[in-house]
Amino acid sequence: MHVDPRKMSWLGILFVVFVAGCGQQEPVIKIGVSGPFTGDQANVGLTVLRGAKLAVNQANLNGEVLPGYKLELVPIDDQHNPTQAVSAAKKFISDPQILGVVGHLNSSCTKPASQIYYNGRLAQITPASTNPDISKQGYDTFFRICATDDLQGPKAAQFAFNELAARKVFIIDDKTTYGKGITDEFKKAFAAMGGQVLGHQGITQGDKDFTPLLTNVRTLSPDLIFYGGLYPEASLIIKQAKDLNIKAPVMGGDGIYDVTLINLSTPQAAEGTYATMIGTDIRSLPQAQEFVKAYESEFGDIGSYSAYSYDAANILIQAIKMAQIPDREKVISVLRGGGTFPGILGQTKFDENGDTENEIVSVFRVRDGKWEHVRTV
Amino acid sequence: MELFFQQLINGLTIGTIYALIALGYTMVYGIIQLINFAHGEVFMVGAYIGLTVIMFLGFTAAANLPLALLYLALILLISMIVCGLLGILIDQIAYRPIRNSPRLVALISAIGVSFVLQNVVMLIYGPQDKGLPQIFPDIKFIFGEVTITLMQILIFAVSLVLMVLLHFLVQNTQIGRAMRATAQDHKMARLVGINVNGIISLTFFIGSSMAAVGGVLFGLYYHTINFHDGYLAGLKAFTAAVLGGIGNIPGAMVGGILIGLAEGFGAGYISSEWKNVFAFVILVVILLLKPTGLFGERISDRA
Amino acid sequence: MSQIRLQRHWIYGLIIFLCFAIPFIDRSAYHQEVLTTAGIYILLALGLNIIVGYAGLLNLGYAAFFAIGAYTYASLNLAWHVPFWVAIPIAFVVTSIFGFLVGLPVLRVKGDYLAIVTLGFGEIVRIIFNNLEITGGPNGLLGIAHPTLFYPVWNNGLAWARLDFGVQSFPYYYLVLVFVIFVAYFSLRLDRSKLGRAWIAVREDEVAAGCMGIPVARVKLAAFAVGSSIAGIAGTIYAAKQGTVTPDSFDFILSVMILAMVVLGGLGSVFGVILGGLVLSILPELLREFSIYRMLIFGLVMILMMIFRPQGFLGNVRRKYELTSRRKYF
Repeated sequence: MHVDPRKMSWLGILFVVFVAGCGQQEPVIKIGVSGPFTGDQANVGLTVLRGAKLAVNQANLNGEVLPGYKLELVPIDDQHNPTQAVSAAKKFISDPQILGVVGHLNSSCTKPASQIYYNGRLAQITPASTNPDISKQGYDTFFRICATDDLQGPKAAQFAFNELAARKVFIIDDKTTYGKGITDEFKKAFAAMGGQVLGHQGITQGDKDFTPLLTNVRTLSPDLIFYGGLYPEASLIIKQAKDLNIKAPVMGGDGIYDVTLINLSTPQAAEGTYATMIGTDIRSLPQAQEFVKAYESEFGDIGSYSAYSYDAANILIQAIKMAQIPDREKVISVLRGGGTFPGILGQTKFDENGDTENEIVSVFRVRDGKWEHVRTV
Repeated sequence: MELFFQQLINGLTIGTIYALIALGYTMVYGIIQLINFAHGEVFMVGAYIGLTVIMFLGFTAAANLPLALLYLALILLISMIVCGLLGILIDQIAYRPIRNSPRLVALISAIGVSFVLQNVVMLIYGPQDKGLPQIFPDIKFIFGEVTITLMQILIFAVSLVLMVLLHFLVQNTQIGRAMRATAQDHKMARLVGINVNGIISLTFFIGSSMAAVGGVLFGLYYHTINFHDGYLAGLKAFTAAVLGGIGNIPGAMVGGILIGLAEGFGAGYISSEWKNVFAFVILVVILLLKPTGLFGERISDRA
Repeated sequence: MSQIRLQRHWIYGLIIFLCFAIPFIDRSAYHQEVLTTAGIYILLALGLNIIVGYAGLLNLGYAAFFAIGAYTYASLNLAWHVPFWVAIPIAFVVTSIFGFLVGLPVLRVKGDYLAIVTLGFGEIVRIIFNNLEITGGPNGLLGIAHPTLFYPVWNNGLAWARLDFGVQSFPYYYLVLVFVIFVAYFSLRLDRSKLGRAWIAVREDEVAAGCMGIPVARVKLAAFAVGSSIAGIAGTIYAAKQGTVTPDSFDFILSVMILAMVVLGGLGSVFGVILGGLVLSILPELLREFSIYRMLIFGLVMILMMIFRPQGFLGNVRRKYELTSRRKYF
């Protein structure tokens, strides 16, 4: 083989273009946000992005967060893929202007990413990851403003046992950290109350046909089907269960609490589906009215985690203000300081694991094609 | 026992859809020895065309059965024509120029087409699952523990009719004879005056329109479609085509049903999460042990 | 040594020197990250090049070997704290055994069927990793240790200091670079060896090769084993670098991407494959704003390349003839 001048010039061109693409410096401070902004869970992921965006925009309008600095939001998509989440985390920590991150959405992403944030000394507030193990790792950079599954699961079990008088339950999960986590908690609590768990099966995310599984479930005649997972698969399960003439309602966690669920499974089939959700109904909170108006005028309907992301971003902003200098360690110590941060969800105080002391869980039900708040448990 | 029948019905339903797609694979392979990797995407496009037609014409839940059937016929017709033309287009652009190249080249081109189709659909319609409005009344037939929905019956009926028609076309008409001749030997077919390129295009048209029907029925049955549905369904349908004997049309139909049943029973009796593995294992085993398939033919050993 | 050869060696040396120097010239962590990832993909492409480029065996499930390498290190490390450097040869061996096992039943399978069978294998492996508890299910395995290196320091006598690779890309860049150079050199030598020539013969006409006394089955198995073992090494490095492995990192799209790198660069051409790997790794990063069009462009490029230049950027004339006229086997 001879020396190929074309090859040389290709390499040369690539080299030059690459080096030329280096970034520039500006006097900004940044907050990162990450979640599934594209892909099949984009509906939910975008609620996180928009909540954070609104918070940052409002903060900039209200004056400088830190004198001399402009605040920017850096979104990075993780497509609910843990490897991408790790990659996003590494990008965040390698940008010194980023002082905190709102993320991620899925527990399976937040967990590995939390190690990266810990190593990189960057504060992380998750608006929606409910798996309890994440805060038990001892990372002082991890914070969470939503309740955890070891709260949601048992409360769902209580509701099912007491209000729905369910005694026999079939459990399905989607094998993710979140799905398995919440169903395990539900199972423990339900059995402890004397209920009977008829079976516990896993399904694969992205799958479409659950009729074989549901046919088996039907022969067991459960009072309730509890599903741990997200709305794409949940909507198919609900629809196919109705088609197979299964009378038992489906109940799930916050992962299925999304308007799209009703659309995808058809309102008739979704009628009578229950879901738990962390926190209370946003619309009923007086202090949230302004937020609701501002969000809806800019982005349209409020989504499942819009308010959480909004509060998380605002807490970061408050922490940065209180730190007074663009320093990550200071932001972390402010958050750990045990202070209370006001927000539209109420007052948020982080305990020594980074969990919020706000432990409200609500139950919602689908009625007439809409989610309706049943009560807080 | 009733559990068995219910699983049987579940399996048959999806199997019929696989059979429709498998027809396209088997016909194209029979005629130009190409695994049309993009065929699964044509199926997916068919489903999306169905969705578009429904949205465009504003169909909603029809309480009225005859009206809904009319809607269905219209949707199927439009989808079949569009996808049939799409199939011809794909052949012209991506396969014809490399008709004489080795299989690796054509296969990669086919994969490229598959990506293009998937992503065009994704860019137009978005990456989330799309819901299809319900156009049929929610009629169910209940026999004890076994339930059959109207949709399932429709799927069987439509597919059966189409497959019978296709079989008739291929076996008993002049055009069918031309197709069979071309599949046997291009050069000789040309010598006896058959327009080989035209027949090839026709084959793509028919195969793609079958897949389109499968797509529309799939969309109406599951009520949600996603741009990624074509890949998996395509592979399973290909397995079905090989199972039945690639190049063999009745074989593809039988193969599809068998794969659907295997999946349904496998998921029901063994495990739901390993469902896709069954199809892949069957694929691998068949290709290793008996590549000529059940009704084996047409692998004129060019290897 | 002839003039031209000498010149060539000087140029290779210069390029290698430049590659080593890059992280000092361009200190951006992000760029190093991209180049390191590109390097891992190039390793994979070099491995696949042996199977598809040299031996002509279509493989659409190469990502499975990558996965096996990665999960091997992950599970060894998490269960028995096996350090990275020990895991590399283990993964090498394990993956080549799997390559052998995959190659064994497909010896008689031809052309496009071979491609589909390997695709099937690839998917089966991915689904297995996705469903089994011991491989962590869809969330994969986390907390995998990064490589550590002991290096000598002078501190009133010879002492050993420890370097933990950690999460920055810097040390991984060199690790990958060294392996790429080694594998590339190894590939080039293989090409000129008896085995390499046997591969060319089998690729062009299996029956004739067999008649000439070439042990066709053994030659094919060798291709599978060697090609897949390289993926095993790449997988180990990947797992060590990421710290986590998840099954959806090893999907069909990755297999296609690696194949595309080999095909675009030029089947069988080591430099072509390296170039193809660089282009297909770096280009998506440069075009981040167009990332939603990425797969679309990718598909179009594949179709166009096959129609107009199937032998790739740096393919040679022999290849061109091979790929544009109807062949009996392939």
